[in-house]
Amino acid sequence: MNILTLLIFTPILFGIIVAVLPSAWRDSFKYITLLATLVQLGLSVWIYCNFKTGADFGGVNHEGQFQFVQKLPWIDLDMGAMGKMQIEYFVGIDGLSIALLVMTSFVLVIAALASWEIKSNLKGFFVLFLILDMAVIGVFCSLDFFLFYIFYELMLLPLYFLIGMWGGARREYAAIKFFLYTLFGSVFMLLVMIGLYLSVKDPATGNHTYNMVQMMNPANYQAGSVFSALSHQTIFGFPARAVGFIVLFIAFAIKVPVVPLHTWLPDAHVEAPTPVSIILAGILLKVGGYGIIRVCLSIFPDIASADAYWLGLLGVISILYGAMNALAQKDLKRMIAYSSVSHMGFVLLGIASQTTEGISGAVMQMVSHGFLSTMLFFLAGVVYNRVHDRGIGHFRGLASIMPQYTAFVMIAFFASLGLPGFSAFIGEAFSLMGAFKSHSVNGLLPYWMAVCGSLGILLGAAYFLWTLQRMFFGQVHLKGGSVWETALTDLNFREKITLVPLALMVLALGLMPSLVFDKVNDSVLALVQFFQHTI
Amino acid sequence: MEEFLHAIDTLTIHFTLAAVLLPLLAFVINFSLPGRLHKLAGWVSTIAIIISCIISASVFSKVWNGHMVHQQMYWFTIGDTKIYAGILLNNLSVLMLLLVNLIALPVHIYSTAYMKDDEGYRRYFAYLSFFCFSMLVLVVADNLVLFYIFWELVGFSSYLLIGFWFTRDKAILANKKAFIMNRIGDTGLLTAIIILFSQFHTFDILQLFADKGLISQSVIQGGTWIAPLGHLPAAWQYIAFSGIFLAVAAKSAQFPLHTWLPDAMEGPTSISALIHAATMVAAGVFLLGRVYQLFNDVELTILAIIGCFTAFMAATIALTQNDLKRILAYSTISQLGFMIMAMGIGAYASSLFHLATHAFFKCLLFLVAGIVIHQMAHIKKDNGLDIDPQNILNMGGLRKKMPLTFIAALIGGLALIGLPLTSGYLSKDGILIQAFEWAEGRSGLYKIIPILALLTTWLTAFYVARLIAKVFFGELKVLNDHPGIQIHIGDGGWRYKLPLMLLALCCLFPLFSANPLLYEHAWLFNGFTPASSHEHANIYHTLVPIGVNILSVLVICGTYAMYVKRKGNIFPQSGFLYRLSAGEWYFDRIYNIVIIKPILFLSSAVFWIDRTIIDGFINALADIGVKIAKLCAWVDHHVIDGFLNLLVAIVEAIGNFARRFQGGKVQYYLFSMLVVILLLFILKTVF
Repeated sequence: MNILTLLIFTPILFGIIVAVLPSAWRDSFKYITLLATLVQLGLSVWIYCNFKTGADFGGVNHEGQFQFVQKLPWIDLDMGAMGKMQIEYFVGIDGLSIALLVMTSFVLVIAALASWEIKSNLKGFFVLFLILDMAVIGVFCSLDFFLFYIFYELMLLPLYFLIGMWGGARREYAAIKFFLYTLFGSVFMLLVMIGLYLSVKDPATGNHTYNMVQMMNPANYQAGSVFSALSHQTIFGFPARAVGFIVLFIAFAIKVPVVPLHTWLPDAHVEAPTPVSIILAGILLKVGGYGIIRVCLSIFPDIASADAYWLGLLGVISILYGAMNALAQKDLKRMIAYSSVSHMGFVLLGIASQTTEGISGAVMQMVSHGFLSTMLFFLAGVVYNRVHDRGIGHFRGLASIMPQYTAFVMIAFFASLGLPGFSAFIGEAFSLMGAFKSHSVNGLLPYWMAVCGSLGILLGAAYFLWTLQRMFFGQVHLKGGSVWETALTDLNFREKITLVPLALMVLALGLMPSLVFDKVNDSVLALVQFFQHTI
Repeated sequence: MEEFLHAIDTLTIHFTLAAVLLPLLAFVINFSLPGRLHKLAGWVSTIAIIISCIISASVFSKVWNGHMVHQQMYWFTIGDTKIYAGILLNNLSVLMLLLVNLIALPVHIYSTAYMKDDEGYRRYFAYLSFFCFSMLVLVVADNLVLFYIFWELVGFSSYLLIGFWFTRDKAILANKKAFIMNRIGDTGLLTAIIILFSQFHTFDILQLFADKGLISQSVIQGGTWIAPLGHLPAAWQYIAFSGIFLAVAAKSAQFPLHTWLPDAMEGPTSISALIHAATMVAAGVFLLGRVYQLFNDVELTILAIIGCFTAFMAATIALTQNDLKRILAYSTISQLGFMIMAMGIGAYASSLFHLATHAFFKCLLFLVAGIVIHQMAHIKKDNGLDIDPQNILNMGGLRKKMPLTFIAALIGGLALIGLPLTSGYLSKDGILIQAFEWAEGRSGLYKIIPILALLTTWLTAFYVARLIAKVFFGELKVLNDHPGIQIHIGDGGWRYKLPLMLLALCCLFPLFSANPLLYEHAWLFNGFTPASSHEHANIYHTLVPIGVNILSVLVICGTYAMYVKRKGNIFPQSGFLYRLSAGEWYFDRIYNIVIIKPILFLSSAVFWIDRTIIDGFINALADIGVKIAKLCAWVDHHVIDGFLNLLVAIVEAIGNFARRFQGGKVQYYLFSMLVVILLLFILKTVF
């Protein structure tokens, strides 16, 4: 049994168990789910430890360099004159996926622990949770575009119900908005995927293929096909490859989210229950960033270089725009949601630079943000569960009544605003460094972008500290008076064992960034080399 | 032999490592100390700092004026860039290492008494140790990444300590302000580091800033900044400078980022002494010392102008403040201005010399202030008065009640003014003399700088004299205002007295020079000066010290006469200048109007755009979708379905019509047959 396959489908096994158990046993569902995620975490840690590094394991556009590969024929349809349809079950990982994979498994454990707060319709919740779990892991492992797409779309369905059924007051609106927004992007992605399929032939079998790694090799494109770089086809008068790139980019940019495609995020995050907010912010956004690297940039490197300026610009806009919005928020969860927009802007900026520093920084920032946004949303959930209110102005002086909680909030806030010693600093600093270096290395981004990006770090301090000052310090003053004061108890045991590992992770990654970089470096070098060859 | 030397170096590095890590250990222990043992926290931190201090002294003795020691270890790789972390020991770093420890030690001892009744006792010492750790690593860090990390961490520990009493609104506003102001500087520093890295491909301080390092090999030629490994447009050299300047201005409280420091006085006074007077705020000057090679003439001149202006401005503000700690805070800003100015005019050694002397006397003055405030707070508490214990207008005559504190204050004050026999005289006169020498070769406008600096020293003499007069001489005002109150105050226990005595000794000349009058003979000064370069005895070397000190003494006498002998106040307590000074040059108000308000407005405008325009667009799309769907439904219902319904209706009507012919009544059938036949006949006849 291939370990990746095991990793992907473990949750669904547990999901089936949850589904067939009688509802009278509903109290056990959360433990079963937690067990599933723990098994998964164990598997991914094993994968992490056995992940080989070195120049021979770069991956990216070399199929032989991927690890833990499983490749099975899946759909082989003889289509007569059109040849054979070749869809494979093809999973494998390289340095770009491994870090995100481990982070995802970790965050899912936390999300499972956060699910303790769900009180209604437990069977439905946990079955959907486990389906979602399978889908996100699948996305990070798939190397066949068709398989990738299926997992990608499969994420939407459970999320729609998880937000729409267990969410807050405006859950229906948020769920539909989220669903349609993302579907909008992926429908067009489907068209590009088919276009790519029709353009690329597997040199071994001579069939068209969905193999993403083969899509990265210009030699595999059929002469005269729509996405062949040499044939200069056009769609609606625009170069076909540019259209393909932009369509894919928009699909992933919605997930990241990149301004101005971000407005689903504040609503979805705010209305979603805590575990779903955690999965959304911690994992879903990374799927966007991962997709941009793995799909957009790797399949269309020529266009990515030509449009790098615009990608970088969107990154800078996201950083500043998200930060400005966060500054204006009166709702704690919404503030965190906008801070995510700002932090993910660094990822886009780093990716756009196409330098080793920039891309490594972007991956680091994704991993770091995965842990930090999880922590932030979990913390926002703590206070919401106790008094069902999240207004920043409705609380004051929480430090006096919830000292441990405040300590964790301070860790999360300071780590998020990029205090050195925590992971976000490494991610942000190196993304910016790559962006600045880009001009002299490959001439893609102008110098000023990095300088503007660094203003985001400044604004980050402003909105986090302002929130800290308003909610946590000063004399105790709560909107709900003494009722709230008794309700606002300090962290319980479950909350502490959830938060401590997160805090330790962000600290460990900040002090020993090599935990991520050692695994990522070879792939990043391979990727950058790949870009240089195509330019 | 080679190996032996290497082994010695390694030993030195290990010593340094121990000195640096001991406070971290204390932090960890204090952090995990069980609640009932919290009284131990003070001793944990203090013992750590004592050992650290001893070790630093031995490291200092090995490295000072000896050879530089540098060792590093691999940290991580990003892409193909390897990042190292290491320790760099040269004169500058070992001086700072020892200085920080020497200042931290009395502050620790003092704190065990000063904070003993505070419920956050353990937290206080945990933070304090964390600060010491950050500061110590900062001074020995060998590369810019490490430097930046600890640069921010000292800012962070300062944030924690300013807001130590987190239920006080003023304290938490102050710490937020301090952190954000420092963040501006951090952003600048980060930008500068990024620029340097992309230009020189290394973070290593030694490779960059050594005598024949990469920086000194780079030149600006024809609008391009050319380095051995790359080139950038020349503007980026200036931007790198601006970034570093912002960092220095933020940390060392220089114009225009100085406004956080007076507010930072909301923290415990012992913290003000250590962090906001002696060590952390000097980190900006230290940074300048580290990257000094980078600056060209224009940039140095900018430093000189800003430093000089800050020194003057802060001194004028200190003249009229009534809050004891605020006066000292502005005095710190002013003295830091002197150091920055000294760097700008090329008086590198004097600048660092002043940094060291200032650390001692300003720390001393703050500790004195702490005792005075503590005693005033006692009076307030014992008698239930509603007074501000920090306001000097409530004090007076304290020299009889607390003689040791008075003497310490006097020594610290004289050193701050820079009168002979004190350490301050040695360092400050050096700066003034070199300022005149610097202006000598330049056009008239540059002469303003030494003159302004001179003026500032007299202003300093005035506000220090005023402070001491108001606090220690005359009558206790609060007693005059509230006759009959109980007063039990004194110098306090040995944990107050010992630090004062130690620091007071360090404020006198013998620690720094055998010759109390000539700064050139100070060992510390010589440690930073190439041996050949200081033999230009000229007229300034005699004129400046004499002029400065005679006038200073006159100013002090005048002040004494004015405030103690009540010869009448010759200065108006109104008018534009007074208000400018008392209003602290209105910086806070201007920043509030020009920066904070617009940013908040912008952020709500951006949020409005987000909700109304972007989301509005999305919702409009959704609306349009729904409208089109409704239209389709209408068309479906009325047009397509309508057509079908019409067909049905027609068929139904025909059917209904035809149905009538089949009623089942024979008469009806006969009648219809008759009608049909008749009709046929009629038609036949007609046509």
